[in-house]
Amino acid sequence: MQFMGPMQFMGPMQFMGMAQMDDLLADFVAETREMLEAIEGELVAWEADPSDSTRLDSIFRFVHTVKGNCGFFDFPQLEKLSHAAESVLAEVRAGRRQPNSRLVTAVLAVIDRIAEMAGMIEAGEKLPDDDDQLLISALEGRLEDFDELAGLQSAGQSNQPADQSPDPSSDLSGHQPAASRRSIRLPVELLDRVMSGVSDMVLARNDLSRRLRDAGNEPTLDGPFERLSGILADVREAITRMRMQRIELLYNALPRLVRDLSAELGKQVMVDFEGGSVELDREMIEMIRDPITHLIRNAIDHGIETPSERIARGKREIGMLSITSRQSGNQITMAITDDGAGLDEAKIGAKAVAAGLVTQSELDAMPSDDIVSLIFEPGLSTADQVSAISGRGVGMDVVRSNIEQIGGRISVSSEPGKGAQFFLELPLTLSIISALTVSVEGQFFAIPNSYVEEIAHGASSSVVFSEIGDRDLVTFRGQRIPCLTLNNVLDVTPRRAGPDQRLILLRLGGGDIFALAVDRIHDQEDLVIKPLSPAVMATQVYAGTTLLDDGRPVLMLDIPAIAASHGLVSDIRSRPVNTGEGVTQTAATSTRTLMTFVDLDGRRRAIGMDLVSRIDQVEQSAFDIEGERAQVVIDQKIIELAGKPKGAFPAGKVRLLRLSDSQSDLAYPVAELGETVEYDGSMAPADTDPEIEGVALIDGLPIPVVDGYHLFAAHGAGPAPEAQLVCRLPAEDEWVNRMLAPLVKAAGYRLTEDSDAEADVVIITGDTAAGQAETHDNVITILSDPGDAANTPGIYRYDRAAIVQALSSARKRSVS
Amino acid sequence: MNDLLVMLIIDGRRVAIPAVEVKSVIELEEVYPVPRSPDFVAGLTAMRSQSLTVIDSRLAIGVSDGRRTCQRAAVIEVEDHLYALLVDEVADIAEAQSDPSPVAGGFGAAWQRVATGMVETDQGPALMIDIAKLIEGPLADAA
Repeated sequence: MQFMGPMQFMGPMQFMGMAQMDDLLADFVAETREMLEAIEGELVAWEADPSDSTRLDSIFRFVHTVKGNCGFFDFPQLEKLSHAAESVLAEVRAGRRQPNSRLVTAVLAVIDRIAEMAGMIEAGEKLPDDDDQLLISALEGRLEDFDELAGLQSAGQSNQPADQSPDPSSDLSGHQPAASRRSIRLPVELLDRVMSGVSDMVLARNDLSRRLRDAGNEPTLDGPFERLSGILADVREAITRMRMQRIELLYNALPRLVRDLSAELGKQVMVDFEGGSVELDREMIEMIRDPITHLIRNAIDHGIETPSERIARGKREIGMLSITSRQSGNQITMAITDDGAGLDEAKIGAKAVAAGLVTQSELDAMPSDDIVSLIFEPGLSTADQVSAISGRGVGMDVVRSNIEQIGGRISVSSEPGKGAQFFLELPLTLSIISALTVSVEGQFFAIPNSYVEEIAHGASSSVVFSEIGDRDLVTFRGQRIPCLTLNNVLDVTPRRAGPDQRLILLRLGGGDIFALAVDRIHDQEDLVIKPLSPAVMATQVYAGTTLLDDGRPVLMLDIPAIAASHGLVSDIRSRPVNTGEGVTQTAATSTRTLMTFVDLDGRRRAIGMDLVSRIDQVEQSAFDIEGERAQVVIDQKIIELAGKPKGAFPAGKVRLLRLSDSQSDLAYPVAELGETVEYDGSMAPADTDPEIEGVALIDGLPIPVVDGYHLFAAHGAGPAPEAQLVCRLPAEDEWVNRMLAPLVKAAGYRLTEDSDAEADVVIITGDTAAGQAETHDNVITILSDPGDAANTPGIYRYDRAAIVQALSSARKRSVS
Repeated sequence: MNDLLVMLIIDGRRVAIPAVEVKSVIELEEVYPVPRSPDFVAGLTAMRSQSLTVIDSRLAIGVSDGRRTCQRAAVIEVEDHLYALLVDEVADIAEAQSDPSPVAGGFGAAWQRVATGMVETDQGPALMIDIAKLIEGPLADAA
């Protein structure tokens, strides 16, 4: 009662006036009912066999909880009753008292009475002052005559004094339970507090782990510590879940919005949701609510045409709006697709020129994807008339900055006449950020992964540095990209960018790309980000701080702020200029980022970095291997294990590369992690081992490169695609069978080589004569010579990203 | 006024802050610099797996070039952020024997900004300072 302050004595009636107290009381009643329901079966069983004391635990917990709550709410009568029942049950549990039918009857009578009182509390009545002494005596075994008790029970129910008589609704009390779900309500702040407590515990654990390591081998401590770590990981997972909510919560409000909007605009729109069971941090759902709403408004207002227009264009009268959410790794991807008119490139372009964002000649040189992306620029709204629905000038730029604020990204693609798709990538939570740790001059910093586009070694032949005035530029994949050195940004031994550094290509939401040169790139980690003190925040270079596993504090760089302070944002003219033929050049490069490692059999291997989504560490017990089947449990998920060792697993923890093909995950155990290298040499074929894509020459050593396509084809089941599309591949082509087929399969296609078969997508290799004659309207051309890829439309065959991209856009076309 | 005070030596002067505001006194192990931060921010350090902002008290007050003579620091919390105050010396705990009171002529421009007043202690007079003002640094007033 302390928190009630000066109001010393208050009965339940007075409480009811206070809204806050009201809520708490309602919770109390609901909880009491829930528990009553839950123990109902136990009560019956106990009544049938009083000696069965295993039933007692839940009954005991019930009275105990009621007692505790009563103390809080100041219901002395109820408290006295439940206290009496609790003491009796405690004695029975301790074996000091033998339960008999009398005792059971007495306990049941008390529980009935509690239910009755709960009903009265709910109805807002005063609890009767008459004490339940008889009931209590009966409990304590002092009441000899049980007929009397039976009489009392019925009296208690029917013989309520008139002045305290409840309104009839109180009869509903114990018999019509309000809610049948086993759930409790908690204030959100409490959850947040627990969450931040757990985050702190993780940091404390890391600290302890470091100290244990420093102290040397302490077998007596290692066991308990591992156990602690395991428990902590579980708790953290559970807490994170507690804050998770299904995205359905967001979906639920949308049909109404769509209905109202389409009615207002005289359009017919059907909305389709997918992936409602995807879970997102509660806070994140709130953060994306407005942007999503805005996108939907836009789609209906500008995208989808009126029924008559649609009919005139040969479309169905009813427009389709689909919203899909999918979780992949620690990211959520959301797509909002409409089958309307698409974005009006000409209009967007004209507006952009009028607003001075680009010049006409720049516009003419822009690929159409870039033009539609201009809608995310500030001050560009394509609505001719400012309607009530959208186009008030607060447009897509606000949407974009909202999404970026939470570490997400948004992009758009549009096909004139067919529709538009907005694509959002969101992190799962706000407080844990996946980041890359880098260093300059021995000082460590973290960069959120969401900005990182690519990583390159300064010495790589694909990187050329040039100085234009005082500005460093790098030429990478045919693009001239402004380059900052972290040294200069932070004023730590200022210098020019150079080949001894590593380059991180960062993409800002607007599509602005810049390179950040750092001395070293260390690791990718999930970091718990904490706010910074105002004095440090004022530098406008950092967004937060965290501790690494070794206890070292690191600052997280505020990438958008850094870009802005160096004039790299919002000025479209400074965007990378294509030096040559445009986008095809990107596809033409053969540089790959490889990561070297030592597998559990002690062999050196490398794997494409783009496959590695994260690095995990698991206990040996997490593995489940039986014959051919090999799986590992990570974060409560069963993941297929690839790269199973021939020998035994080493004792203790095992590091795992988590591989992802963006649809399914695989785990690959490694003994030791190597380095990340930018590899642009050729690969010697390795014919004997299907798991090896080829042998790369890295630092003078031949290192076999694990074939990601093969891995996923062999292990990755992948989620069943909504509709399995058929892809026709060139017949009897060894490369196609070995390399391409698994990739296409992994993208969710069924394969055929039969040229007569019905196919949704056709892949041809540029050098086949059959390919030239292909008339299918969904064709992907694969070229074996990177040089050709620059000059003809098609994709170089080792440009995995481009192939996957082509396959997924082919899927979209086929489905729509 | 029998509050306990932590006596610090900053730039050779005796300074007091209320003991309730000091969470602990630590030996600074390693301080990681924060590039581009104001001078008085010496860097970050970790204490029991939390990040602390290390403040060089002399520079924060604006009285010296900031030579550090002591690796002991008082840990304080201001608005949910933890700071380690780098001082010449963490001297002792003393008992306040008066309320903070002004001194004729003031404490000097730099000190005046952070001063609460002079306080008598069982170890003699000391300048009571406001830690929230201290961590704002010397430029806060100019802004």
